[in-house]
Amino acid sequence: MDGLRLLTPEFVLGTLAFLILLADLWIPAKHGKVLFHLALLSTAVGLGMLGLSFSAPAFYQGVGSLWVVDPLSLFFKVLILAATMLSLFLAVDAKRPDDEHLGSFGALMLLSAVGMMLLVSSVDLLLIFLSLELISIPSFILTGFERGDRKSSEGAIKYFLFGAFSTAVTVFGISLFYGATGGTHLLKPLTHYVDAPAPLFLLACLMMLVGFAFKVSMAPFHFWVPDAYEGAPTPVTAFLSVAPKVAGLAMLLRVFTRLIPHASLDLTALFVFLAVLTMTIGNLTALWQTNIKRLLAYSSIAQAGYMLIGFVTADTLGREGVLLYALAYLFMNMGAFAVAVAVGNEEGYELQAYDGLAQRSFGLSMLMTFFLLSLSGIPPMAGFLGKFYLFAAALKGHFYILAFAAVLNSVISVYYYMRVAYHMFFRPARTQAPAKTGLYLYSSLAIAAAGVFAVGLYPEPLLAVIRSSAAMIP
Amino acid sequence: MGILSLTIFLPLAGALILLFIPKEKTAALRAVGVAATALAFLVSLIALFLFDPSQPGNELTMRLTEDLAWIPSFNIRYFLGVDGLSFPILLLTTLLSLLAAVYSMNIQVRVKEFYFWYLLLETGMLGVFCALDLFLFYFFWEVTLVPMYFLIGIWGGPKKEYAAIKFFLFTLFGSVFMLLAMLALYFASAPHTFDMMALAKAHASFSREFQIIVFLGFYLGFAVKIPAFPFHTWLPLAHVEAPTGVSVILAGVLLKMGVYGILRVCYTILPAGFEWFLPFFVIIALINIVYGALCAMAQTDMKRMVAYSSINHMGYAMLGIAAVSSTGFAGAALQMITHGLITGALFLLVGVIYDRAHTRDINAFGGLAAKLPVYAGLMSLTCFASLGLPGLAGFISEFLCFLGAFPAWKIYTSIAVIGILVTAAFFLRMLQKVFMGPINEKWAGMSDMDARELFAVVPLAALTVLFGVWPKLLLDMMNPTLSLMARFFPDMFQGLR
Repeated sequence: MDGLRLLTPEFVLGTLAFLILLADLWIPAKHGKVLFHLALLSTAVGLGMLGLSFSAPAFYQGVGSLWVVDPLSLFFKVLILAATMLSLFLAVDAKRPDDEHLGSFGALMLLSAVGMMLLVSSVDLLLIFLSLELISIPSFILTGFERGDRKSSEGAIKYFLFGAFSTAVTVFGISLFYGATGGTHLLKPLTHYVDAPAPLFLLACLMMLVGFAFKVSMAPFHFWVPDAYEGAPTPVTAFLSVAPKVAGLAMLLRVFTRLIPHASLDLTALFVFLAVLTMTIGNLTALWQTNIKRLLAYSSIAQAGYMLIGFVTADTLGREGVLLYALAYLFMNMGAFAVAVAVGNEEGYELQAYDGLAQRSFGLSMLMTFFLLSLSGIPPMAGFLGKFYLFAAALKGHFYILAFAAVLNSVISVYYYMRVAYHMFFRPARTQAPAKTGLYLYSSLAIAAAGVFAVGLYPEPLLAVIRSSAAMIP
Repeated sequence: MGILSLTIFLPLAGALILLFIPKEKTAALRAVGVAATALAFLVSLIALFLFDPSQPGNELTMRLTEDLAWIPSFNIRYFLGVDGLSFPILLLTTLLSLLAAVYSMNIQVRVKEFYFWYLLLETGMLGVFCALDLFLFYFFWEVTLVPMYFLIGIWGGPKKEYAAIKFFLFTLFGSVFMLLAMLALYFASAPHTFDMMALAKAHASFSREFQIIVFLGFYLGFAVKIPAFPFHTWLPLAHVEAPTGVSVILAGVLLKMGVYGILRVCYTILPAGFEWFLPFFVIIALINIVYGALCAMAQTDMKRMVAYSSINHMGYAMLGIAAVSSTGFAGAALQMITHGLITGALFLLVGVIYDRAHTRDINAFGGLAAKLPVYAGLMSLTCFASLGLPGLAGFISEFLCFLGAFPAWKIYTSIAVIGILVTAAFFLRMLQKVFMGPINEKWAGMSDMDARELFAVVPLAALTVLFGVWPKLLLDMMNPTLSLMARFFPDMFQGLR
């Protein structure tokens, strides 16, 4: 096992997660919030470790036996930990039925994050499989965390069944891959198989894709999303809507644009179709939702569709576009969920809960509007720049249909995003009391808003980071 | 910070200040809102003294330019500048924004939000007319969308929500294609750039087919805004539902963004695409003129009538552009200004009577001239100006549009004259029904215009008269730029000359 040192952040974080799990046994439920803070601290430690990897690239970046650590993976690891941190912020202030097992909650989230961090680094199908499982199993439990809530259990079961099924298909694909190439490692020369793909090899790749598509909620493997998102505790929904999705995309970028380029497998047309399908299904279904979590669930499917553009074009511009969009998406989606938590704590998640919010909590409704506008790609918010980047990549790569479908989808999406604004601004308020927000919720809102505007208004420093982060090994 | 940036961002600064004022202090909120627009107007007046309209040489010289690197990775710059085409519209924007802000002091509910969105809207509009980088242009273009959505949706009439989302979706539908067209231009230019001036210089390097496709992308964005047939359906709805002050901005400024874009982007950067589209363009202009006028004729709601007359008046501007001559361009540019002044005043005046009577049905009134002499006088003046009575501003611009278009499109221009006739008919009918005849006793207690309303309307009426008798004031500012633009492509548009 070479290069174990490359995975130091993952090891440290995993160890901390287990320590928190242990601490859960000793700390009484009434002090349960302490465990959240420990989990938050762990993500901070993890981010610090990643900072170390940036500062000493010669030592902490390179090729290990089943993994590589390169700027691309580091960028996504930071993104994953940031998403974990913001979700934990939301979890502190979100309403809970009780304060039992908060340590397991934090620890499971951390373990899932460790899985994602491994996933974005893996260059071997075995490690990819293991990390997919490490992501999924804690996610299933987290989704069903509110035991008393039937929707939560229903979501967890659906998520689990779909997850188990797609993992099975993926494993089968991996075994076929092994049969075709005699190994699971992706860094060894595959040109012989890739340049003239045999049917078996192609079948193996397609079957593996099923599992990956499940993780990034690519249509038609998205059916679990709305139910799982609606049932899960809202901080978990926020976490699931961002972290696994960007991690899955990072892995797709590495495996299917670099190691086994989809263009040489003649699968590009398929991915164009799937990207268009994903954004269209997401947007069209979102039009009919009356529950904010379901609405954001379908919106997240559509957002994944936009990000797939960069995956389809598979050039540097597209890859940078995915990176930028993933970052923008982190801020805007986390922001939207933070507002959803603030409102939902008292009044639930139906859109009626937002009636007249502008007259009760003006700041909150303005922020929500900005996050939603960012999701629909209106300047000066971050989402616009991300879309600009991705559309540019599509045009540059001559994927005109993709660009066309994407802009039309952006128009459609405005309708349902603005429906939330309609409830907040145009409807009369039923109560006058402002929505309650806690300190942590405020911080996550502030971070998200700052990110959305900073990226949208002055992106140049960030673009430099993105360009250097788009570098991959090999 | 240059004077254009100052003009653009003063309203934004006002909007941000508003956020820190408690929403109960309506007087302070109104004061800040009006003060921000007034300051922007004053600064634009100062710019008037610094603005030099002459255009030496064969290339467009921009004035008061500001050029900063913004996103160097994409060669995107914060590039502002004005010329004889954009500067008068800039002045119109700051003036109308001030007057409509004063008029809107009668807004009673959610004053804070109103002025916040209103000032944000002004920043967006001013930015559109100053931006010389396509990315920046698009940026400001989209910034105008959201405030307008809220302004219509919160303070509008009975069908406000539908009108607001329809406006948003229509405009966004057009503008996303503009975004694609803009990106296509970027990748086609070498070195890659969004700079409108550089792209205009490079127009010869784009093939005709490419120009046609890109033109259509831009045209879709602009046509929705103008609004050109068949993308006009959002307009009557939005204009009617919007509160008075917002209707003024909508008709007075937002529609001009489309016409301005056609001249600034479609014509100068994509002449071959424009040449290809011209036969269709002139027919669309004709439909706008005749169909818009006939639709207006059929209305009994005054505001709806004025809204449809805007479609008709924008048709004249399009006809002027279709001439591709200095006279036609001058007509179109002047039409933008005069339509802004006249229709702005008309919407304000309709608002005045609606505030009193809570109806805009022209059949509900009668004999008001005896009761409200000042109102009747101002209304007659603006209606006459709108129908093109000589001596008032509308006549000059419409005349120039026809004069320019006639040599190029004889038959179409002749048909378009019908538009003038119908326009005269519906305005006169309205004047007759509202002001003449026996007085409707229901309105016996109606009061004449108050100071706030007069402050908003009188400057527009005065300018209408001023430009009617002395259009040289404006034309001197515009002509050097427009005649240069008309001479841009000596070997194209042959059929028109």
